[in-house]
Amino acid sequence: MPGAQSLAQQLAAKQREISVAEFFERNRQILGFDNPLRAVLTTVKEAVDNALDACEEARVLPEILVEISKEGPDRLKVAVGDNGPGIVKKQIPNVFARLLYGSRFHANRQSRGQQGIGISAAVLYAALTTARPTRITSKVPEEEAAHVVELLIDTQKNAPRVLSDELELWDRPQGTRVELVLKARYTRGRQSPFDYLKNTAIVNPHARIVLLEPDGTRITWERATTEVPPVPKEVPPHPYGLELGELGSRLKASSRATLGETLSKEFAGVTPRALRDIFARGHFSGKEAPDSLHSEDLERLLAVLHEVPLLPPSAESLSPIGPLLIKRGLRNVLGEIRPEFFAPPVSRPPKVRGGNPFVVEIGLVYGGGLPADQPMQLLRFANRVPLLFQQGACAITTAVGNLDWRRYGLDQKGGSGLPIGPCLLLVHLASTKVPFTSEAKEAVAEDPEIDKELTLSLQVVARHLRTHLSRRSRRDMAGEKFLIIQRILPQLAEKASRLAGKPVPDLTAVITKIMDVVAFEATAVAAANAGESALALEVTNYTPRPRVLELFLEMPLEAAASLHAEPAPDGTDAELGRAWWTLEKLPPSGRVKLLLRFPKAQEVEPGDLDWFVAGVDEAHLLGAEPLPGDWEVRLPRAIVEAAEGSGAEAAMSEGEPEVDYDGAEAHASLDEE
Amino acid sequence: MVRKPTPRSTKSSEIVLRAEALRPTIDLAKQVYQQLLDGEIPRMRLPLRTKQNITFQMREGVWRLGRAMGTRSARKQDGALMLLRTFCLVDFINEMAAENKTSTLRELYYISEGWKDGKFHSEDESNLLIEDLEVLCERLREDFRLHPEENGASVIGDLTLRERNRKGLVKTFNCRDDVGDGGYALPFNVEKEKIEFVKTGAKFIIAIECGGMVDRLAENGFDEENEALLLHLKGQPARSTRRFLKRLNEELKLPVVVFTDGDPWSFRIFASVAYGAIKTAHISHYLATPAAEFLGVTPSDIETYDLPSDKLTEQDVRALQAELTDPRFQTAEWRSEIELMLKNGKKAEQQSLAKYGLNYVTEKYLPEKLSDMGILTR
Ligand SMILES: Nc1ncnc2c1ncn2[C@@H]1O[C@H](COP(=O)(O)OP(=O)(O)OP(=O)(O)O)[C@@H](O)[C@H]1O
Ligand SMILES: [Mg+2]
Repeated sequence: MPGAQSLAQQLAAKQREISVAEFFERNRQILGFDNPLRAVLTTVKEAVDNALDACEEARVLPEILVEISKEGPDRLKVAVGDNGPGIVKKQIPNVFARLLYGSRFHANRQSRGQQGIGISAAVLYAALTTARPTRITSKVPEEEAAHVVELLIDTQKNAPRVLSDELELWDRPQGTRVELVLKARYTRGRQSPFDYLKNTAIVNPHARIVLLEPDGTRITWERATTEVPPVPKEVPPHPYGLELGELGSRLKASSRATLGETLSKEFAGVTPRALRDIFARGHFSGKEAPDSLHSEDLERLLAVLHEVPLLPPSAESLSPIGPLLIKRGLRNVLGEIRPEFFAPPVSRPPKVRGGNPFVVEIGLVYGGGLPADQPMQLLRFANRVPLLFQQGACAITTAVGNLDWRRYGLDQKGGSGLPIGPCLLLVHLASTKVPFTSEAKEAVAEDPEIDKELTLSLQVVARHLRTHLSRRSRRDMAGEKFLIIQRILPQLAEKASRLAGKPVPDLTAVITKIMDVVAFEATAVAAANAGESALALEVTNYTPRPRVLELFLEMPLEAAASLHAEPAPDGTDAELGRAWWTLEKLPPSGRVKLLLRFPKAQEVEPGDLDWFVAGVDEAHLLGAEPLPGDWEVRLPRAIVEAAEGSGAEAAMSEGEPEVDYDGAEAHASLDEE
Repeated sequence: MVRKPTPRSTKSSEIVLRAEALRPTIDLAKQVYQQLLDGEIPRMRLPLRTKQNITFQMREGVWRLGRAMGTRSARKQDGALMLLRTFCLVDFINEMAAENKTSTLRELYYISEGWKDGKFHSEDESNLLIEDLEVLCERLREDFRLHPEENGASVIGDLTLRERNRKGLVKTFNCRDDVGDGGYALPFNVEKEKIEFVKTGAKFIIAIECGGMVDRLAENGFDEENEALLLHLKGQPARSTRRFLKRLNEELKLPVVVFTDGDPWSFRIFASVAYGAIKTAHISHYLATPAAEFLGVTPSDIETYDLPSDKLTEQDVRALQAELTDPRFQTAEWRSEIELMLKNGKKAEQQSLAKYGLNYVTEKYLPEKLSDMGILTR
């Protein structure tokens, strides 16, 4: 009689190992294989992430080839090849056909892969939808030939089933190529492999990536730098983030003789002084064998570890992109839309949350071919991997939306949410442990520490944007004036003089009255030697009076270190990246030229230099800003006097309150009939 | 009739005309030259042509430009360009005069291709500049040898006139007996040296907005039966049409009535015929016929004659509201008519009178309206 069975017996009848296939079916969504469009993206992503991780570890410049071709009405073949270190033959089956098998789960450093699920899930999906095996070709440098392995996952046992294993000669020293046939559909556009690879190229400027699309189109993202990013160092876990189980197993596995030795050598941040503190507060001798601690002792140890002050976690375990490469990556990939402005990227110093160091980096691009009437394009990245889904649920999006962008010159409905404007924002969060909202690694979870860093760095780039926009509007106005003085006025003078029967008079005085600015124009000039950059600055006094002024240059530190200027600056400050000149007295229409060479800095551009001026007020400056009040520099007397005189100057240029005949006001009522 | 061959051009008098017409521009050039010499930003002053700056001239009975002035300065790009163009245009006019040529506005627009930065970007710009020149020199564009593409307006009725054609030959003919069904097409120049009125049997002039209505009246023999001249305005009338009408009114002492659609835009046609348009307020005394009276279709006609009507659009309503603040519509009659139209929300075309048959307009509507106005007596 079934009713007589105990509940435990009933359950026991149902208790059995869950096969990976079933696990997969239930978790399709989390694993990123819920529909044919997404399946191809996820497959490419898992293989490319692995390839980049492997190349980085091997310190080679990644060469990645992604080939996607049609294999039937609803089938695609996806092949991803790299020039990484290769995988030894013995490990190939495990890596590709065993879920939860990987090299990074236990490693405490920044990497793309974390869980040891990625590529095996793709292999499984391929097998489930097409029953076709996955073909792996891999060569390690020390062997002559490559191994070609065809395998499937035994879905009952979560174990590899190798179908064939052959040797093949390969034309390259090392690398891995995975080839899968899966049920999938290919399109370009948002959340496509194309999108994914493009964004990957931005944050991995050291990689060269080639995509072959099913219709034969070949897209190449060339690398923008030949510097391999430093390999993030594997650091011991920091006790601040530790949980009980992990502490126990770390102590058990320790080969050290005593608890004291284990704590100071196998954990980060534990100084001798902290160690004494720990022992005193937790009543340990320090001489205990590390594997002798049991539940109560362990709990007590963990509690004091969280109490005593330790050194903060080191940032060596992180691999931030850095401001220079963020800019280069953006410029390299977005070059064709010709943005008018790349804000100096922000890369904040590392901070810590829950024992894990993290870094926030932000880049912003404005104008050019970016659509002006659409919300800002937000590119989110975690550990150099693009996040293409769940934008709305991501802490990065929240932080961007919480900033009032209207104060920085963009439209934003009600002062919150994504702003509207021709703007692209790159946000990169790097951490030894990125807090994702789910295993799908699609969105960053809310965290007060991360949010604070995000907000601070967003404000910095937004301020750069505001400065750019206000400079631009002043430049537009100046452009109009240049058109007047360079083209219209000479023609006008010629005609009027001829009608009046007189020779054309000298126009200098009129020109300075129309312009009424001191103009600073920096241009790139041909460098004398390879590997250096050269710029020229022209200062023209388009005002009706002579000018004495003090000119300050602020530049990137690496540029400041190698500045050669002609005339030589009157002073420099390498630490702040500044140089300054007292310019000779400039008469109206007078002009001086400065030549700047940077023998050791290759890519200094006019936009990298900021010019500040004392002696002329803001309204009469073009291409330079007034000297910030907080610089605390002592100015020569002549300049102080000039600055004081400029109030009267502003008052003088008033007048002519009459209606502008060609202004909108006068025309408003003309067009009705 | 004696045909007297006249010389093709009177060069010397042309030069006199040119020098005189353009004298203010030469003065302007001298002024700008002096400003450049003094290191001042070139500028000129012009009366503002805005609704706020037109005033009623009691003596002439028309609306003219007031005294408010604006400054055109080379400090701004638009101003600098217009100054440059002014001199380009003066140059061009001088050239035309030397070769005894005239040009259409459209041609002028293309001529400006050769003016470097002075080139016009739209015909609006060239029109504005010519109006500026008219204001500056107190002359008409015809004096500068510029004329609109075509006039399009025509006159039908017993009017004999003498026209000097472009070969210099003089022809005399009657606008009822010597012309085709289209009537006499007005040239762009309707000044005395071109057209002289010889005689007329007409008692009044009826100026009509649409061609269809002119044809209806002509076919029904309205002009002969009632001794009327029919003038086709062709929408918003060209300057020469208005000038021609003014000459008929003043020289032949003929009363003028204006017959248009019953909508806000047609009211403006009447206003520009009778009082002058804002754009041409600087020459109202030359173009406007203050004696002209509005015949209809009035908003009350729509009710009285129960005419088929359309609903006012949003633009119509806005136009009517603008008219309520327009100094030319400030009489009690106009105000109450406009308010009536706003209240009923209806407008009607003149041809909607055909509702009662093709003869209704000539047998009933016009005779009734004209006798109310004291022009016809029956
Ligand atoms: N192209 C490759 N070259 C060298 N080693 C590789 C390559 N692809 C995978 N591996 C190795 O195989 C392991 C398993 O890869 P897998 O994608 O399954 O997991 P993961 O990358 O560690 O984590 P995640 O599930 O987050 O992707 C990796 O940790 C790495 O050691
Ligand atoms: Mg992986």
